[in-house]
Amino acid sequence: MIVLEDVNKIFRLPHDRRYTLRQRFVSLTKKNTYEELYALRNINLKVNDGDFLGIIGKNGAGKSTLLKIIARVFEPNSGTVSVNGNIAPFLELGVGFQWELTVKDNTFFYGALLGMSQREIEQKYDWIIDFSGLERFVDAKLKNLSSGMQVRLGFSITVSVESPILLVDEVLAVGDIDFQQKCYNTFESFKKDGRTILFVSHDLGAIERFCDRVVLLENGQTKMEGSATDVLALYKSQ
Amino acid sequence: MTRSASPYTESCKKEILSGRKNYLFLTLVMAITDFKIKYDNSILGYLWSLLKPLLMFGTLYLVFSVFVRWEVENYRLYLLLGIILWNFLSEVTLNSMVLLEGKASILKKIYFPRWIIVIASSLTSLLTLLLNICVFFIFFIFSSARFQTSALFLIIYLAELYILVVGLALLLCSLYPKFRDIHHIWEVFVQLGFWATPIVYPISIVPAKYHTLIFLNPAARIIQGCRQALIGPGKEFLGLTNHIIILAVAVCLFAVGWAMFSKMSRSFAEEL
Repeated sequence: MIVLEDVNKIFRLPHDRRYTLRQRFVSLTKKNTYEELYALRNINLKVNDGDFLGIIGKNGAGKSTLLKIIARVFEPNSGTVSVNGNIAPFLELGVGFQWELTVKDNTFFYGALLGMSQREIEQKYDWIIDFSGLERFVDAKLKNLSSGMQVRLGFSITVSVESPILLVDEVLAVGDIDFQQKCYNTFESFKKDGRTILFVSHDLGAIERFCDRVVLLENGQTKMEGSATDVLALYKSQ
Repeated sequence: MTRSASPYTESCKKEILSGRKNYLFLTLVMAITDFKIKYDNSILGYLWSLLKPLLMFGTLYLVFSVFVRWEVENYRLYLLLGIILWNFLSEVTLNSMVLLEGKASILKKIYFPRWIIVIASSLTSLLTLLLNICVFFIFFIFSSARFQTSALFLIIYLAELYILVVGLALLLCSLYPKFRDIHHIWEVFVQLGFWATPIVYPISIVPAKYHTLIFLNPAARIIQGCRQALIGPGKEFLGLTNHIIILAVAVCLFAVGWAMFSKMSRSFAEEL
């Protein structure tokens, strides 16, 4: 179960970002001006176990920030977040891929990043390689693989993580029709397994197909929360 | 706006912790990955990296044993040990900042305790250090030095050095995202420290009144201790007082580094 109470996230966007001591020293007399951007404002959200929750909204509405806060990548400025259960961050495929290393080494590295233990990865290794269709390339360096192969590897490792909660951010945007189909099939099976999924997407068809509940974000605020049909109707009418 | 201690409830933290006991595994995998990339996955890659300390050793040895002559017994071992240990300090502290920046794309997408990056980078360098010490022992065998039981102190000194260096690395890394040029500044400090520490020259050439100043630096104490333990002569750095001083500084630095890092790393994903 995931519960968010009064979560606020403010990004400070300096007009002139100072990265170094030198810059700070040189501009001592100048005031450090910045814009405050409310990425999220008073977000209250409750996701029950087994929910398939869709999150939609325009660019910059705060969808990705919301997922990152749940995944603990960002800390909210105020409010509380409570998550019961392990999270598999599905925010981007192949984060942390090491191009100079082999497919096998990358499987272990990426698996470990996603929180798997050595035993788990060893157990699932054959499945991962089989699912990504890279049997012949396990000892090839990742940089020598086509981008499609890299995506397949990333996807296969990610879906092999057995965590009750999945955060999915636009992974479907990449890949061809076959790959998308594969993704959808996997999500179907996850749904059947009763895993909790938070799904951010611009693909309204997919949202309608999978989500029991949809949250519509606008400028960092919850505009509407409800069944897929109702929320999508409002979103489309805007 | 001030931040609360942590917005995440206790149960949430516990869950994440208990669910992901695999931090040790992640640290090891990250260290091995860095090591493999650094040495290009080959023994030859490692041999190549050995060239750096050895070349430095060769040059300094040439200058200071042929041109300038110190009255030091086994100067070759004396110098090599100093270089290897100082190299470890400089490598861990400087590399951890580079690796932190290199891992920015991961930090922005996946949560794991940020200290894993620093510890993993220190483990990579530790492995290099141990291999370099093997090289030292090859030199040792072909020298006139004899093995003495105090050599076992080396392990304690290395442990102390490790705590000290990781403490420094944590401190530097916690500041790095806000002050990027700290990398350059620290580089200069490491260079200064190299000459302010009796690595190349024997302590006997330094006027006695400066000794207190030089041995304020715990690294100098560790290096002298390792030398006396392995090749002698002298025993003044093998005593308990020396260990207490080193440990006091190292543990303090580590505690401060850890506290700073825990605080600052909460916003790494936004600042890097």
